[in-house]
Amino acid sequence: MPKKILVVDDSKTALMMEREILERRTTYQCVTASDGREAVEKAQQERPDLILMDVVMPNMNGFEACKMMRQQPTTREIPIVLVTTRGEESYMEAGFQSGCNDYITKPIDGAELVALLQSYLGE
Amino acid sequence: MNAEKNNAMGCAGADSVNALRLGAARKRLAQSTGPEDAIDGLREIVATFLGSEELGLFRVEGSANFRAFWSFGIDLREYDLLRALGEAGLGRVMRGEYHVELAAGEGSATMPKAQAFIPIRFANETIAILAILRLLPQKLAFDGADMELFKLLSDEAAGPLFGPSLFGPGVPSADSKPVAGEPGVSA
Repeated sequence: MPKKILVVDDSKTALMMEREILERRTTYQCVTASDGREAVEKAQQERPDLILMDVVMPNMNGFEACKMMRQQPTTREIPIVLVTTRGEESYMEAGFQSGCNDYITKPIDGAELVALLQSYLGE
Repeated sequence: MNAEKNNAMGCAGADSVNALRLGAARKRLAQSTGPEDAIDGLREIVATFLGSEELGLFRVEGSANFRAFWSFGIDLREYDLLRALGEAGLGRVMRGEYHVELAAGEGSATMPKAQAFIPIRFANETIAILAILRLLPQKLAFDGADMELFKLLSDEAAGPLFGPSLFGPGVPSADSKPVAGEPGVSA
């Protein structure tokens, strides 16, 4: 059974890119959401093996969605990797405090992304 | 994992990741639902792939007039960026060359430093100029892969961005001038 990744981003471009990388360079199955609220719902429905989530999004941002997922038994243990344009230490600290496991900054480096995901999910 | 994908991954490297990036950018522009969506796409491409959240478009009007057309993260009307490029630099961009700063820099409070000016081309003419300003802190400079993305934007962004406004009323000819459309300026 292939591992499943929930990719969350309000940017159609970022979703396209991440989806292309996952489909062409890994065996992972990909499901998507375009804001934090949808991400929380999809995470409960799809039970992904990992969540790759942008921070700045409408309706509910990535930090808030992460906190909410950590409060629910069905999503509490899913590894969450946040994606953001901001790499400052204070911002990253806020991400970890919201409950994320890891962090990747834009511009997205495809090879770095694959390596990071494989470190959590294996090949 | 099947043998074919395993082999593909074994041969994959920076080139293939860059190809995916170019493919995603191309698809995003081509699938735009109109000029405003294309501008959203352009903003996403620059943020996600090039590493900047300050960018703007100048529309070329006639042979030597430039109008601040749209911006994100900065108000182009507050700065005379094209003057900072200089006549020689502007001439090169109008001829279809990119102007790229080799090292990222902050500029000053009164004049942010533009890191790149990219000609947006249609029918062998530069009809707009994309200016990319401050880079994200984790992006130190542009590289060869970024230049390929510049070329894609230069060659393929005009249609999605300006759409029907590229053609004036009647049958387009070598002498017809584009009719400007204006989604507006945002910062």
